[in-house]
Amino acid sequence: MRIKIKVFASIRDICGFNEKELIVSDSIKVNDVIDLFIKGNKELSEKKDTLLTAVNEEYCNMNRTLEDGDTLAIFPPVSGG
Amino acid sequence: MKLVLTQKEVINLNTVLDNGASHSDGSDLIFLGKVRDISRGKKVTHIDYDIYNEMALRELNKIADEASANHELNRIIIIHRYGRVMLGETSIMILVSSPHRDSSYQASRYIIDEIKKRVPIWKNEFYDDGSEWISDRS
Repeated sequence: MRIKIKVFASIRDICGFNEKELIVSDSIKVNDVIDLFIKGNKELSEKKDTLLTAVNEEYCNMNRTLEDGDTLAIFPPVSGG
Repeated sequence: MKLVLTQKEVINLNTVLDNGASHSDGSDLIFLGKVRDISRGKKVTHIDYDIYNEMALRELNKIADEASANHELNRIIIIHRYGRVMLGETSIMILVSSPHRDSSYQASRYIIDEIKKRVPIWKNEFYDDGSEWISDRS
């Protein structure tokens, strides 16, 4: 199963990439992906409670199960305007 | 008439004003959001806006549709810039046209409030001595 990960704003700075592809064999939830990135990343870990997520350009919660071909976006609270 | 755009370029107000204008509208209400000089006590030089463009357009369209469903509007135009926006420049323009002004005022307020809550766009404010990502929720 292939999942595309996109990160934005301060989260991109912390992670050091714009996009990544994740290949997994088993079912995986949004929360599991975030935990993968948080491992060993204290700065990201501190922001976990404020992170927002979207799958295929729609907001989703952390319990959402991802499917093959999904795009998961991870980002901080928005500040447009 | 609905027009939702995200763009890097400066917003040309005169071009926008004529786009879809109608004699049946008794009011055109324009909101312009600008880059101001002082933020949290620091002197701002410019803002770099980051955007998740596909999702931002989707959310902006939803917000425009909600405003249209709940208020008597004939025209909605929302333009949000991304990339570098210099001090004093317009970062967002919201234009709503309606037969009566009450609908326009309520709709315009609804649109800007929802944009600040939902649309995936982020400000990276630049100062004389550095920069900082801004979150309106923090």
